[in-house]
Amino acid sequence: MYHVVLTNRYLTSRVIPLIAVGAVALCAALVMIVVSVMSGFLDMVRDSGRTLMGDVVIELAVEGIPYYEDLIERIEALDESEAASPLVDSFGMLQMPYPQGDNKQSEYVQFWGIEPESFARVTGFADTLYWRELDDHERRTAPVWDLRRQLTPQVLKDGLALRDSRSDRPGIVLGMHVSKANERMPEGGYHPMGDGYWWMPAFDVTLVTIPSRTVGGQVEPESFIFPVVNEFVSGVFQIDDVRVKIPLEVGQRMLHLDEAELVDPDDPFTVIGADPARVSKILIRAADGVSPDRLRDRVIRLYDEWVMEYAERDDLFVMPPAREFGLSIRTWEQVQARFIGPVEKERDLMRILFSIVYVVCAALVLTIFWAIVHEKTRDIGILRSVGCSRIGISLIFLRYGLVIGVLGSVVGLILAFLIVRNVNTIHDAIGRDAPVWSWLTAFGFAVVSLMMTILAARRERMLPIVLWSLGTIAMFGLGVILLLHRGTLVWDPTVYYFDAIPNTLDVPNAIVTMIGAIVFSVLGAFIPAAKAADTDPVEALRYE
Amino acid sequence: MSEPSRTTPTTAAPPTPPTGADFILRAHEVHKTYRMGRVDVPVLKGASMDVRQGEWIAVLGASGCGKSTLLHLLGDLDQSDPGRGEIFFEGEPINRRTRSQRNRYRNRTVGFVFQFYHLLPELNVLENTFIPALVGLTRFSYHAKRPEIHRRAEALLQSFGLGDRLKHRPQELSGGERQRVAIARALMNQPRVLLADEPTGNLDENTGGEILDLLAEQHRAGLTIVMVTHDRSIAGRADRIVELSRGRVITID
Ligand SMILES: Nc1ncnc2c1ncn2[C@@H]1O[C@H](COP(=O)(O)OP(=O)(O)OP(=O)(O)O)[C@@H](O)[C@H]1O
Ligand SMILES: [Mg+2]
Repeated sequence: MYHVVLTNRYLTSRVIPLIAVGAVALCAALVMIVVSVMSGFLDMVRDSGRTLMGDVVIELAVEGIPYYEDLIERIEALDESEAASPLVDSFGMLQMPYPQGDNKQSEYVQFWGIEPESFARVTGFADTLYWRELDDHERRTAPVWDLRRQLTPQVLKDGLALRDSRSDRPGIVLGMHVSKANERMPEGGYHPMGDGYWWMPAFDVTLVTIPSRTVGGQVEPESFIFPVVNEFVSGVFQIDDVRVKIPLEVGQRMLHLDEAELVDPDDPFTVIGADPARVSKILIRAADGVSPDRLRDRVIRLYDEWVMEYAERDDLFVMPPAREFGLSIRTWEQVQARFIGPVEKERDLMRILFSIVYVVCAALVLTIFWAIVHEKTRDIGILRSVGCSRIGISLIFLRYGLVIGVLGSVVGLILAFLIVRNVNTIHDAIGRDAPVWSWLTAFGFAVVSLMMTILAARRERMLPIVLWSLGTIAMFGLGVILLLHRGTLVWDPTVYYFDAIPNTLDVPNAIVTMIGAIVFSVLGAFIPAAKAADTDPVEALRYE
Repeated sequence: MSEPSRTTPTTAAPPTPPTGADFILRAHEVHKTYRMGRVDVPVLKGASMDVRQGEWIAVLGASGCGKSTLLHLLGDLDQSDPGRGEIFFEGEPINRRTRSQRNRYRNRTVGFVFQFYHLLPELNVLENTFIPALVGLTRFSYHAKRPEIHRRAEALLQSFGLGDRLKHRPQELSGGERQRVAIARALMNQPRVLLADEPTGNLDENTGGEILDLLAEQHRAGLTIVMVTHDRSIAGRADRIVELSRGRVITID
């Protein structure tokens, strides 16, 4: 029973336990905040990668995959897959509507010819389209210049269908950074230059490309004029900067991957069969709970069976290529390896950094408890002399560490939650000039503590003089800093390509951190206490 | 009361087998050696001493001669060199017991009073006094015994003139008051023997006298006391004085 009495007294009759709770809380909060924000960023990068192309990609670049509709039907019938979508892709130049005058600028683009409906089922295409009506909440918070305030639902519909409803022509959707007229605003969000004049969906653009399949001889470029129907933001700059999306049929036609008649090479007027339409990629989305790797393995098996089946048909001139001939079936991570690689490296690096933060915090907590318990060595000797057992004494400090650890980690969790939740607000506040009241208050406090210093000096009390003059300096300094502070955005959205700093607390990590904080508090208190309980009572009593 | 050994004036009694009955506490040829780095420093070199039930015995000796060491051995706060000498309580060797029996011995059978009081700074006077009574209690049995424990501690402190200081912290008390709290704590569990290590060593003569009066009162009530001191006049308050010199108990007064 003495454990309870002593633990309670040790906890309540000194300031040290409060300091320890504060230290544990700060350490825990530090770890939680850093990990939440950093892994939030990494997740954003990964998610955006996945949003772009689904889970598994079948790819055969130049030649293209024939009979893809049949293949897609079979893939979609798999339990492991949710949806599949064909696409053709290549490079081209896009003649932009700007600048004014005759000499229009061209941008280098990578175009994807997609089937919008199935593409939206496989990827996050629908969510990436930027020009859409604002909902009521967004309307309240959006800046006044935001063009989206004036949009009708038709813009989003046209974007999703890749079709301009006014002219009834196939449309194009551009990555947000393809048009150099789109400006990213400090508040987040985009605004076309010329106060909205260069809003791309109001213009036509011309796409020029070289077909992938030609019969030899001179290569004629293909071009097509598209009305811009929408723009998309994937969140990854490298993609938003070059990618555009057009309807699949148009892409196939431009690349000469559409269905054609197969003629006898010796006699171009004799049709010997049909050359089926082709696509260069098939994107597949995994069913819920199926890993990309599992889906890939399944698709590989299916593909091989499919090729075998076609090989037995004798009514066809064109056979689907076996996997050995340049056709690849890979998960999106494999496809994006060059892009994901650095991110993974970064994640590893962050893990090392996190573990350093962890180790430092753990060491800090251990040291604090070590110091507190060490100071109690004599008490331990006294307790031994009145007959307390070693286990009983160790229990006192076990409890002590436990209470502080639990309190500290709960306070830390609350702290971390509040900070992470409001990280963008805090960041915005740093980004603005300090309000007048803030530095006025600081100077006010400076004056007050200056007066307290003078008062203390009159009474010739050393500690108050030191403390109050430090307070004066600190408050004056703070005032000057606030007064001189000019908003600097640490996370400038015009430079970095995520709108906002991730603001969700990483819950599993928070739980691990809380457990860690408690474990280290308990160990920090328990180890020196066990050591002290083991020392000779006489020795312990000698401790001053 | 008259033992043959009492009349032997100059050196300690030769080893006599423990007889039990008369002696409540007995040190028999105990050796204690401290190790200082690579050197062994023998402090007790075969000290023997008998404490009778109900007597007040003073152990006199120069500073550093090992008085505290001997007292710690008697109270089982420390152990003698293995195999070299033994401490008997009521005829039973105390160093051959289990850990929990030894904790119990320190808790119930003996009570310690130190020169530097050794109170727990975070506890108030009342709590410092009753802490030995809480040892071994579960939360449940504590609630059952709580009134009784509080009553006894309060009564002890009352009789020591500290009735109005129950909620004070040790730091708020004078040396004499602190030592009275320490004695109250030592008596809390009604021990058989009180072991006092220079209980007046830190106090002025008047205050020290008051402490000795208090001990005398307990002694009259039947308490066995072993008191260590280097002051001959203080030792004079005891029934009997033994002297420790060169690691042995040499005179038996
Ligand atoms: N832990 C220890 N390590 C080494 N030497 C020790 C230790 N404890 C005590 N000693 C030595 O043993 C001797 C006896 O110490 P002890 O405290 O028993 O003396 P004392 O008679 O009580 O002295 P005092 O009257 O000053 O309290 C001293 O010389 C001391 O230096
Ligand atoms: Mg001593």
